[in-house]
Amino acid sequence: MSWKNYAMTCAGIAVLWAVGLLAIPAFAQLIEGVMLLFLSTQAR
Amino acid sequence: MVRIIVQILGVLVLLLLTTIVTLRMKNSGADGPSVLFPGGELVSGELHTGADPDWSFTDDVFTIELQLNDPMASRRIFVMESDGKVYVPSGYMKSFLGRIWKDWAFEAEAGNNLGVARIEGVRYERQLIRVKDPAIIEGVAQKMLQKYAPEGAPPDLIEEFRRSIAEDETWIFEMAPRSSES
Repeated sequence: MSWKNYAMTCAGIAVLWAVGLLAIPAFAQLIEGVMLLFLSTQAR
Repeated sequence: MVRIIVQILGVLVLLLLTTIVTLRMKNSGADGPSVLFPGGELVSGELHTGADPDWSFTDDVFTIELQLNDPMASRRIFVMESDGKVYVPSGYMKSFLGRIWKDWAFEAEAGNNLGVARIEGVRYERQLIRVKDPAIIEGVAQKMLQKYAPEGAPPDLIEEFRRSIAEDETWIFEMAPRSSES
């Protein structure tokens, strides 16, 4: 993928991801749960 | 091949950063914190007045919501009852992570310690007072281990926890009633 197309794809993914987090509470909770699980395994 | 790997890694980093920024902004003005991100002012729930309750009911409460007023932000936190009083901990205080994550604890110790705790939907106006008395800390540590340590925790985990308090890596605050001068 060219870097220009890559940048546009990244921008689109970021927008969709952010909208999903804001508009779908269950999705946001799922992502937070995954982050919490990762952090708790790294805490020690 | 390398280019593809770099691009995939770039997307993953972008998703992580987007998640952190979006959820942080989303929760900053919310009525209470989420699991990971601080929230705003605690506005809903009955405001407790009068004498303090019997805090032993918090033995069955895993986390509470604690809001400090300056700066206004709330977060989820462990809670322990000991000898009729209620306490909250703050760990990682000497780590780089703690210095950026636990700013509320540094603020509370510096005097910006007025806040509100919400426990099972009821708000309590409190002030945070850091505890350094070894006798009190021992009681709080016992309760914290009893309540939050995994069942059958190895002795070295218990010793590590005691060491973290003794070496100021974990701070303990009493959630005391506000004084009349506050």
